Amino acid sequence: MANIAAQRIKREFKEVIKSEEVAKCAIRVELLNDTFTELKGEIAGPPDTPYEGGTFVLEIKVPETYPFNPPKVRFVTKIWHPNISSVTGAICLDILKDQWAAAMTLRTVLLSLQALLSAAEPDDPQDAVVAKQYKENNEMFQITARHWTNVYAGGPNINKDCDDKIRRLADMGIEEHQARVALSSYDWELERATEQLFS
Amino acid sequence: MDGQAKQGSQGGESDMECSDTECFDDYDYYNNDDNEIEQIDPKKTDIEYFSCESLNEEQVERLLNETVELLSNNLQITPSSAKVLLHSHEWDVPAIVRNYKENVSNIRIRTNSAIVPQSQICFRYITCSVCVTTQNSDKFFSLSCSHSFCKDCWMTHFEVQINQGISTGISCMARDCGVLAPEDFVLKHLARTNLREKYQQFTFQDYVKSHPCLRFCPGPNCSIVIYSKEIKAKKAFCSYCKTSFCFKCGIDYHAPTECIIIKKWLTKCADDSETANYISAHTKDCPKCNICIEKNGGCNHMQCYSCKHDFCWMCMGDWKTHGSEYYECSRYRENPNVAYESAHAQAREALKKYLHYYERWENHSKSLKLEEQTLTKLKTRINQKVMSGLGTWIDWQYLFTAAELLAKCRYTLQYTYPYAYYMDPGPRKELFEYQQAQLEAEIENLSWKVERAETTDRGDLENQMDIAEKRRTTLLKDFLDV
Repeated sequence: MANIAAQRIKREFKEVIKSEEVAKCAIRVELLNDTFTELKGEIAGPPDTPYEGGTFVLEIKVPETYPFNPPKVRFVTKIWHPNISSVTGAICLDILKDQWAAAMTLRTVLLSLQALLSAAEPDDPQDAVVAKQYKENNEMFQITARHWTNVYAGGPNINKDCDDKIRRLADMGIEEHQARVALSSYDWELERATEQLFS
Repeated sequence: MDGQAKQGSQGGESDMECSDTECFDDYDYYNNDDNEIEQIDPKKTDIEYFSCESLNEEQVERLLNETVELLSNNLQITPSSAKVLLHSHEWDVPAIVRNYKENVSNIRIRTNSAIVPQSQICFRYITCSVCVTTQNSDKFFSLSCSHSFCKDCWMTHFEVQINQGISTGISCMARDCGVLAPEDFVLKHLARTNLREKYQQFTFQDYVKSHPCLRFCPGPNCSIVIYSKEIKAKKAFCSYCKTSFCFKCGIDYHAPTECIIIKKWLTKCADDSETANYISAHTKDCPKCNICIEKNGGCNHMQCYSCKHDFCWMCMGDWKTHGSEYYECSRYRENPNVAYESAHAQAREALKKYLHYYERWENHSKSLKLEEQTLTKLKTRINQKVMSGLGTWIDWQYLFTAAELLAKCRYTLQYTYPYAYYMDPGPRKELFEYQQAQLEAEIENLSWKVERAETTDRGDLENQMDIAEKRRTTLLKDFLDV
């Protein structure tokens, strides 16, 4: 079985490299070992989304039973998205679970993830805090997601207001990422975030 | 209820056939009377009557295969494909046929194209999109959706899925293709016998679970399947392991309470039982002499060993006041001023209300268990009596019948408490609690008499049995809604 997996990955690797998406710099895969069990994937944040301009790194682990079981994929780059855990990077996507089909490929997975970035499904959330903000205060969600893209994925949009608030918490001795999570979770209200951090 | 009424009238007709050879007047007299007529239709007289069959695996297979054959002949499809359809449509043949004839293309599994190798041109090499090897086209197979893959990939696909416990739900390997693999297709590609067996075992379980008229017996290590045409919240009984359960929801039989209510109640009890256990301790003090008493029998009519005071274990009141019609101990009196009180007081009141019902529920459940022990004691007692020449073994058999009836009555009584707990206050609830109190009083009388029976009491005991059972059936007739 492992043989089929390696054979498939080898083939798919070529497929991705030759594909037109690579030419447009939208997706990329990189081998991390000789046995084809671990790969690094990259997807570009889709245009007209808060993720635009960012590059998101993915960890891809290929199980021995691939392609009869789906690859295990997780975001390495921190991201603010209802279907992706802001803590672990775990992804909630049907094709990575029960809707996987053996005929799918790494390319289809990466493209589906890109599509997920453009069209979140807040009713099937992985991160409940993010999903709640997405549904109840979408404007704030856009700001937060764009800010995270800027900080973690190299996106171009700097948000001075967010940075200022984080710096104020950092001055109180809070670690930067921790401060960002608290502020993001409380719609960037400094007071409530502080309260949560010190309670 | 309609069904029952119909059954009832049929029963009446058959009675007529039996008796009209004699005299018409006689017939009318008997038919209008409630007295015992021979060959009574149990559906008419027993509100709890439920006909079900205990089937072994072979019999279930036969039953399922009959349905499969019926559908496959009707629609001209393979038995395997018929199974896929039946499984996804709750084995409802008329509905499938209607559906199929109205809109053939809507039903995913059109079977004629399955399992045929896709090669029209004999020697052609194709690359399998799963394993990316190029092979002769005769190694390729597809389901009705025509997505073809090589033999080895199908095999591995099935192996992986079966090892994950999936059987009837295995679908095609193509993206976004939900076409399900029929049984013969899967079995054809499975080489290992242990996997074939596993697959057949899983599909069998899936078929039974999807069939509205079949239930696995919940008894431990029992492989029997119970079959009934009526899908009602009635008492199903496994004739092999003697387990009984509610046919509709599968848990312990719970008349007169409904399936949803009992589920709610059991969840509530599981959540709150810690507190409740703490509050209702296992021992109580005698209300007269305050000696500590542990309950060791099922009967709630207690007599203090020390001062001989008779009292009720439930309400701790004097037993004498229970003797009359106003057996009020099972009734919970709602505090009328509760609406005006604070939230805290309301929560306390809610807890008090819950505990009232929970204690009684728990108490009868314990009594049931204790009465099982009484049965063993009864046997020893009877042995002693027989040895000392007081009647023969047969003379004492009626006591076992009494104990059995007592268990049955107490069981129903136990399940009246969740029913009452979820009832809205009003005249209906008052009636219910009145009947419940009546039943409870008679059950305690019966329990008291069973525990102390002598041969000479036989008539009295049998009278008591009759009263208790009548109270039980009256309550069920008025409140059981199935």
